[in-house]
Amino acid sequence: MKDLSYTEILKANQELGRSLTAETYNIAAFSNSTINLLKEILEYSLRAEGIPAKVHIGDYDNIVQDARKYCESNGVIIFWELWNVLEGLPYKAETWDEKQLNELLEKVKGEIDFTLKNLQKTPFVILNKFSALPFNAVSLETNRFEQLARQLNRYLEDHVGRNVHLIDLDKVIAGLGLRESVDLRHYYSSKALYTVNFYRAYAQHIMPFFCSVNGKSKKAIIFDCDNTLWKGILGEDGMERIEMSPTTKDGAIFAEIQALALALAKQGVIIGLCSKNNYQEVEELIARHPDMQLRDEHIAIKKINWSDKAVNLRAIVQELNIGLDSIVYVDDSPFEIDFIRREIPEVKTFQVPDKLYDYPRLMREHMNLFYKGSSTEEDISKIKMYKRQLEREEAKKEFVNMEEYFASLKLKMTIFENDESLIPRISQMCQKTNQFNLTTKRYTENEIKNFICHEGARVYAFSVSDKFGDSGVTGVSIAMLDAKSSVAEIDTFLMSCRVIGRNLEYAFMDQLVEALKQSRIKTVKANYIQTAKNGVAKNFYDECSFILDVADKNSSKYVLDISRYRSKNINYIEVRNGRKDQENFIYSA
Amino acid sequence: MEEKIRKILSIVLEVPEDEINEGATPYTVENWDSLNHLKLITAIEEEFGVKLTDQDVLEMQSFKLIKSILSNKDVR
Repeated sequence: MKDLSYTEILKANQELGRSLTAETYNIAAFSNSTINLLKEILEYSLRAEGIPAKVHIGDYDNIVQDARKYCESNGVIIFWELWNVLEGLPYKAETWDEKQLNELLEKVKGEIDFTLKNLQKTPFVILNKFSALPFNAVSLETNRFEQLARQLNRYLEDHVGRNVHLIDLDKVIAGLGLRESVDLRHYYSSKALYTVNFYRAYAQHIMPFFCSVNGKSKKAIIFDCDNTLWKGILGEDGMERIEMSPTTKDGAIFAEIQALALALAKQGVIIGLCSKNNYQEVEELIARHPDMQLRDEHIAIKKINWSDKAVNLRAIVQELNIGLDSIVYVDDSPFEIDFIRREIPEVKTFQVPDKLYDYPRLMREHMNLFYKGSSTEEDISKIKMYKRQLEREEAKKEFVNMEEYFASLKLKMTIFENDESLIPRISQMCQKTNQFNLTTKRYTENEIKNFICHEGARVYAFSVSDKFGDSGVTGVSIAMLDAKSSVAEIDTFLMSCRVIGRNLEYAFMDQLVEALKQSRIKTVKANYIQTAKNGVAKNFYDECSFILDVADKNSSKYVLDISRYRSKNINYIEVRNGRKDQENFIYSA
Repeated sequence: MEEKIRKILSIVLEVPEDEINEGATPYTVENWDSLNHLKLITAIEEEFGVKLTDQDVLEMQSFKLIKSILSNKDVR
């Protein structure tokens, strides 16, 4: 993937997507920020490994709700971005007092618990740890924002269940460099922080995990000997002159390589040798050389002879009864590496680099291919610890259901009617909103103004706020009233994707219906016009007790006898009037 | 350059190349929404080796504008 441009990835991914069969591997990724660049990059990385993946990106800022919606996925990835837990948190945190910060901390902890509770049965959840790095790397002191990140990370480490895997985003950022990782242009305009290179690095970083859960982890590592496990050529230099002692410059590097191989052996990875050498000499070295760390008991299989290495590697997998695609082969000779790549492309190979000091780093990188998930014993003790902690923390808030969670947000909706000061925002929303938009009619500012001045038209908008702030005007509805026939038609009904998933639309509909009732309307007509994007609103009118009248391929017409309107009775949203002179527009649900 | 822009638009917005003409805008191409616009910008920057300003990002709202903004940046 490193060699492909983003466009090439998109193209290759589309091609791989065409050959997907019905049985797909569904990954849902959700976030409180915009992470759409992740979709194709991750999809491609997985498909290139032979995993028939489909990556679904959740709704913007709907982590808690999406946890419900996507709990049946094969796996879930969560980008919980501290900087957007609350708009402007990186700077707001610095001016807040202890009490406010604690309240926020408790809110997020509660959301984490509730989210993970809903994902308990999901095979795995990849949860990024909170990172303050993009915003505090330049500050000398540990600021409050960073403290928040630390506190939340400590909480995660102590609390998450065993299907949750914490990913350290700071490692990905460090590997790439901060400036390469974040792009503030799209941060301010679209709440998208990371660059395309960041997502590449991220996908690569988590790939060993996906390989492990899909049974694609490597099982054996096979080493050449001369200049791969030690410095020098045994047949020429002799046992005394080859180097693998930490006391010499190059020897230190091979000592490190052997120690890393030993660590793999202790994790259950099979170690093998495949070398053109004299069998007897190598045997003696393994048994006697004082600096040799890999001894006979660590080496499961040896092919030390003068036949070609492809033949030897095939023999090795046969004897071990594993696939060619589960071994990694290491050699210092470009000729041998090239030969294996051509003869047995299934075998993963890597060459000892010319810059020898880079060898241990490369080795560590390849060690990820053997990743097998966490060792169980440790996990079990972790779970016990987790349970004990839970018992201690009786005081902390836990949500039992969505209603309770929504109630904790203390949502307040403010309704505006024919408010001229909102014309620019209303028009902007008509033009930009794609998802929760029933008719997708694009109106200019002038057209909105005409509606407001028109006697038979009503333009409603709502803004919404919670305990921690205001998200501004995020919903619009336009109704055309015909007093003579007592019929009203809903021309427009839309809501910004920023506030989807909080049931605000039902509260808004209550207000709209009530307002129409007050205007002596008896029948309400409504229309759902299907687009490629507005599937989320498809059943909205059905849910609001409208009756389907006429439907064709792309649109559904509805009718409501207003006396039969059934409210959802959402009691956790407090509704207020936007202007004092419109007191009559507020009705309790 | 036009050919390259057409290719990028076609791949990113998942529309056949021959359906993308000079007049393509977010209003004529259904998939050209604000999220895909971010993808488009990412692709354009990589393929042409340019860094666009935030103003460019906002203004690149049609085939023609993409072409003229890139021309001003001296790319081919």
